[in-house]
Amino acid sequence: MTTLQAPGQTPLRPAEAGELEKATEKRNRRAYLALLIPGLLGLLVSFVFPLAYMVRMSFNRGAPDGVIEETFTFDTYIQPLTDPYYWKVTLDTFQMGVTVGVLCVLVSYPVALFLARSQSKYRSLLLAIAIAPLLTSAVVRTYGWMVILGTNGLVNSSLTGLGIIDTPLKLTNNMTGVTIGLVEIFMPYAILAMISGFGRLSPQLEEAAGSLGASKFNVFTRVTLPLSLPGILTAFLLVFVLSISTFITPRLLGGGSVQVLATEIYDQTTGLLNWPFAAALSVILLVLFGLIIAVYQRLTRKIGG
Amino acid sequence: MRATIKGKMAAMAALSAAVLALSACGGGNEAASSGSSTSGEVNLIAYSGVWQDQYTAAVIEPFKAKYPDIKINFSSKRSSAEMLSALQGQKSNPATDVAIMDNSVSTTGNKQGLFEKVDEAAVPNLANVPEKFRDKGGFGPVAMVDAVGLLYDTAAFPKAPESWDVLWDPAYAGKINVNAPPSLLGLSLTAITAKMEGEDYTKGTDKAVAKLKEMAPGVQTFAPNPDEYQNVITGQTVLGLGQNARGQFYSDQSNKKMGVTFPKEGTVYQINTVNLVKDAPHSAAAKTFINYALSPEAQSAFAKALFYAPSVTNADLPADVKDRVVPTDGSLNIIPLDVDFLSSARDKWTDTWKREIITK
Repeated sequence: MTTLQAPGQTPLRPAEAGELEKATEKRNRRAYLALLIPGLLGLLVSFVFPLAYMVRMSFNRGAPDGVIEETFTFDTYIQPLTDPYYWKVTLDTFQMGVTVGVLCVLVSYPVALFLARSQSKYRSLLLAIAIAPLLTSAVVRTYGWMVILGTNGLVNSSLTGLGIIDTPLKLTNNMTGVTIGLVEIFMPYAILAMISGFGRLSPQLEEAAGSLGASKFNVFTRVTLPLSLPGILTAFLLVFVLSISTFITPRLLGGGSVQVLATEIYDQTTGLLNWPFAAALSVILLVLFGLIIAVYQRLTRKIGG
Repeated sequence: MRATIKGKMAAMAALSAAVLALSACGGGNEAASSGSSTSGEVNLIAYSGVWQDQYTAAVIEPFKAKYPDIKINFSSKRSSAEMLSALQGQKSNPATDVAIMDNSVSTTGNKQGLFEKVDEAAVPNLANVPEKFRDKGGFGPVAMVDAVGLLYDTAAFPKAPESWDVLWDPAYAGKINVNAPPSLLGLSLTAITAKMEGEDYTKGTDKAVAKLKEMAPGVQTFAPNPDEYQNVITGQTVLGLGQNARGQFYSDQSNKKMGVTFPKEGTVYQINTVNLVKDAPHSAAAKTFINYALSPEAQSAFAKALFYAPSVTNADLPADVKDRVVPTDGSLNIIPLDVDFLSSARDKWTDTWKREIITK
């Protein structure tokens, strides 16, 4: 706590200063609240109202051809929750999130570690390069992957050209393509999340371990890795959340064969016009994965100490 | 002092909320308040992409030249379902005047009270639309006719395949693209397969589903991207399901790298209707536009541009265009896909495809 003193003024007595501080704090609190209002209003209009509308919509009944029957029914929830098909879709969504999360962390970790420890004067430039893909839209990058992974794409034509394979590998229009695309698309997020989570990582600690005789492997497993764990866990969570809610990449690289909750919601909304059912699926996605994330955060807090 | 600030803050909050609320509904109100029927504007909702480009060049531009005081605002959507969804959202306060959409979807719109009836008094060119292309209830007539075609790579097929059977040929496994339902192409293929299997699809589709299951492992994509035509043109696939009109257009664009044909077992019409929105803000101008859309010049111009067959009897086409648009004179084997039936079957067939036909 510092004593308030305008330049050129004599210092205030502690009691006066205390009162003044209290008054300032009160004023500040009001100012903070006032500053919050525009943001809160924005949040209310753009997030809370639409969410409430969606939840209300999920209790309506959808008749064929987009007719919405205003009612209050749980049918829209009972149907997906009792249908093995939707359980499978949910499980596939979860699996995709975990797979993409793990792979993304694995490939991003070395990059993030390098960037976090780098003393190079080009560090900022390298960091900019690592997150540069964010400057192009995920749609464009997904189309890029379609070109690379297609039957006549870069990968297949190189492999067939080199005589390694005879028939092209099926790399798109399935979960393989979606996974490859998502891992690359979410890498910049994972790198950024990791770098910001590597706060406790310090070269001095590694040097200390090394000077006390630990091998490089031991330094990594017993010092570097545990200290970078908070960053890894944050990055995984971020990529997991982005993956399970992503729609564009599974839609474009999945070729209609990859059915996850997001694509299912899209089909119900724009293809079959069953908004109540789509809204119910959205609520399920929100609640189910909200719970998973809450549990995950509790666990990571324990791990993080 | 505190109370005053609180009061001021509350007032400001209320004011901001009011401003936000007003701005949120401003768009709709504006459209309605400016909606006098003689304002010389038509808000058109129709397909996006190449359809929009060609329709604009072939129909809208000449219309604007003929009626310089009428402005056309084109709002494009990827599918008829999206158009229906937009119109449903505007039902209490329509901002759209005319919708050109698939007839299975416009029939739903008619039932839902989204469209107005049109008659020859308001749309004189309706007189040239034959009975089979008019709506029985007097709603929007057919504006253009097309049908599902089989797309093929001309390098792999120097001669167009004659039968839909080719989709089941193991030689082309992994090189086929089929748009699964709810796409009309997939729904149409279900009806075509039922016909091939001698099944009445209105009663059941067990045989068709079993047959489609045999085809599924050989299908490379059930949702081709960027679209069904480019997949064949770029050599990603050699066979695909597409619309004749766009297929013919892209065939020319690709220097005949892709061809499109109607196999002998028959095909399903893809029909677009032109519809007047109920309580349209610019009803009079909208009727002028619909009348022009049914004029022989607009009909033949669009046939030349994108190979849709005219829905009127008095549109003349050059022989080379006539050969490439879908015949509407009964010479082509057409499998009737009843729109009323389809509206009830769409959900079920989509579900069946997802659960039983599409494999991972």
